[in-house]
Amino acid sequence: MKSKIGLIIGREYFERVSKKSFIITTILMPVLMLLLMAAPALIMMFASPDSKVVYVEDRSGLVAPRLTSDEEVTFKTASLPVDTLVAHGDFDAIVLIPDSVVSGRSVIQLYSNGPSSMSLESNISRQINDIVETERLKQYNIENLDEILKEVQSDVTINTVRTDREGDDSTASAGVSYGVGMVLTFILYMFLLLYGQMVMNGIIEEKNNRVLEVVVSSVKPTQLMMGKILGIGLVAVTQILLWCVLMTALAAFLFPVIMPAEAMNEVSQLQAGTLDMSLYSGDELAAIQGVSLLGNVGFILKIFGWMTLFLIGGFLFYATMYAAIGASVDNVQDAGQLSFIVVMPVLIGLIVSTMAAADPNTSLAFWLSIVPFTSPMVMMSRIPSGIPEWEIIVSAVVLFLSFLGMVWVAAKIYRVGIFMHGKKPNIKDLAKWIKYK
Amino acid sequence: MNLLTANNITKAYAGGNIALDDVSIEVPKGSVYGLLGPNGAGKTTLIRIINHITAPDKGTVTFDGHPLTQADVEHIGYLPEERGLYKKMKVGEQAIFFARLKGLSKADATRQLKEWFDKFGISDWWNKKVEELSKGMAQKVQFIVTVLHRPKLLIFDEPFSGFDPINANLLKEEILGLRDNGSTVIFSSHNMSSVEEICDDITLINKGHNILSGNVNDIRERFGKGRYTIDFKGDARALMESVESLAGEFLLSDRDKELKQLQLRLNPGVRLHDLISAANDATELRGFNVSKASLNEIFIHTVESNEKNR
Repeated sequence: MKSKIGLIIGREYFERVSKKSFIITTILMPVLMLLLMAAPALIMMFASPDSKVVYVEDRSGLVAPRLTSDEEVTFKTASLPVDTLVAHGDFDAIVLIPDSVVSGRSVIQLYSNGPSSMSLESNISRQINDIVETERLKQYNIENLDEILKEVQSDVTINTVRTDREGDDSTASAGVSYGVGMVLTFILYMFLLLYGQMVMNGIIEEKNNRVLEVVVSSVKPTQLMMGKILGIGLVAVTQILLWCVLMTALAAFLFPVIMPAEAMNEVSQLQAGTLDMSLYSGDELAAIQGVSLLGNVGFILKIFGWMTLFLIGGFLFYATMYAAIGASVDNVQDAGQLSFIVVMPVLIGLIVSTMAAADPNTSLAFWLSIVPFTSPMVMMSRIPSGIPEWEIIVSAVVLFLSFLGMVWVAAKIYRVGIFMHGKKPNIKDLAKWIKYK
Repeated sequence: MNLLTANNITKAYAGGNIALDDVSIEVPKGSVYGLLGPNGAGKTTLIRIINHITAPDKGTVTFDGHPLTQADVEHIGYLPEERGLYKKMKVGEQAIFFARLKGLSKADATRQLKEWFDKFGISDWWNKKVEELSKGMAQKVQFIVTVLHRPKLLIFDEPFSGFDPINANLLKEEILGLRDNGSTVIFSSHNMSSVEEICDDITLINKGHNILSGNVNDIRERFGKGRYTIDFKGDARALMESVESLAGEFLLSDRDKELKQLQLRLNPGVRLHDLISAANDATELRGFNVSKASLNEIFIHTVESNEKNR
């Protein structure tokens, strides 16, 4: 009997793995994802935005000389009257600074040729505010003002180090955990729905072209159902493994190319504990931490280990529900209503995940990461922030036990459903089939 | 000796719909057994129970001398009425898959399949996908898949539907050949002439009840008993009036332009001689025969009188 399940698994597996569409998506997906990750860098390299020309008419005479041009803006002193410049039209914006800019409250006019951009406005207002602030301080005639100002300038950075037993030596800041958690949750979500529906569609197809009746004259309906679920599950595992291998290979090849050598140096300093953190701003430090974390083999292996566990558990659980639904309908259109039972909790899980990734310790996040209907997603979003391991283990055990329970329910529905044609069943009917001997 | 016996099978579906009510059949080893009945009579349910796909609520099935188990399905071949193969799979690959599900090794399956494909002249289909085949072609493949593992019991549900007369005949020869080689065949059909030709015994099921069982010839004789056909020229009305007191169940038909035929049943206690002389007096008598009931008539008659009696 065992070997018959093996035959079914083999058929499901090889039919799908040998499909052109499977091979293409398996190869193209990592390339696409890396391109997506590299896209911002590439865009910056090739398409830096045109610098905007801003004329400054400074009636106070204090501000204009100290405005600094950068990639985004080039400041020019207005040599002509504003009206003439406007008529001429050869500019992006004109800033009109009144006499009273330092002495009192005043409004600065910005004449924009075409739509003004928010980043331009904030750039100009930030610079002018800084200058005005300094000028006002100067009026107090404080000695060594420049040195004092330099000293008081603040740029606080938080470097999180876990002190409880659960925290390991990796210094995962909340921001990085959030990012990793969300990415993992989303991948999980996609896989569960995609491959779950593949199980459903496969069963509907078998039922529709009546091959099912031939198969169940050789194996038990439950064996056929489990064979299908396991076979497609193997396809999912194969795809993930291939993606991991391809991504690692591509990343190993591309990472040093994209990352400047200086950054890699900083990362290795952080890992060695010799990095002088006071030299870096908060954003820079977070980036270094992120890169360091992704390069931390222990962390990655642990995360992927849990990921695989919840992926398999979640897939089995949801695919079994999808199998029951597939068996009870005649076509994919009819399945829409019933598959709501599956999609709904998955969506709730996804939504709660975004909250759980931001704050993994709320009781909502905790309980929904234990309840099997939402646990794969919610737990996955909590794991990167380093929650106690027993929580993960309890969640996994509950998930796998629920899978077994779901198999029992689904097998009952399946057995009856596969021979029902024509009538579109509702949830009530399904409940009746479960009770039916 | 019976290869298969089903004893007092009862099966009800959810919602109280009774598919089979106390049905028993006995299928002798090496025979062709006809399972007849109108649509929705419960034939498919009975076949599924024999195939160990569903379990009966009450009753037992004995196969080859022991209670039927899941392991026995390796000795059963089933061709369902609604044919189905995996469309995207190649013909050869698929046939091997089904053969292995029935317990054959890959090597055995491949060797025997090649033989069958040669016999049916379809060897060049081996690497085609099923979706590229016509309906009739797919039927042939499915037939081979059904019989390949040399099952002790073969179950054919409407095997001839979708076959042209030539291929239907080829199939009939194969089925009889399989029986001659020791297989037992259960044959479910609405096509009574084919049942008449190849079945040894039949069971007629209507609305979940077994309403008629037995050897085909015995049944035809039993139903034909007391029925005669009179070929005559002349006034049909006069003939019917003159024999009205002697016989009933008249069935009048035209043989050709002049010749007519009347079928009737002799009333109990009436001598055949009286009927013939009465008929001879009323018309110009051209022929007189003992009629044998066709299964078709038996089917319709039995089902209809069964409906009336409920």
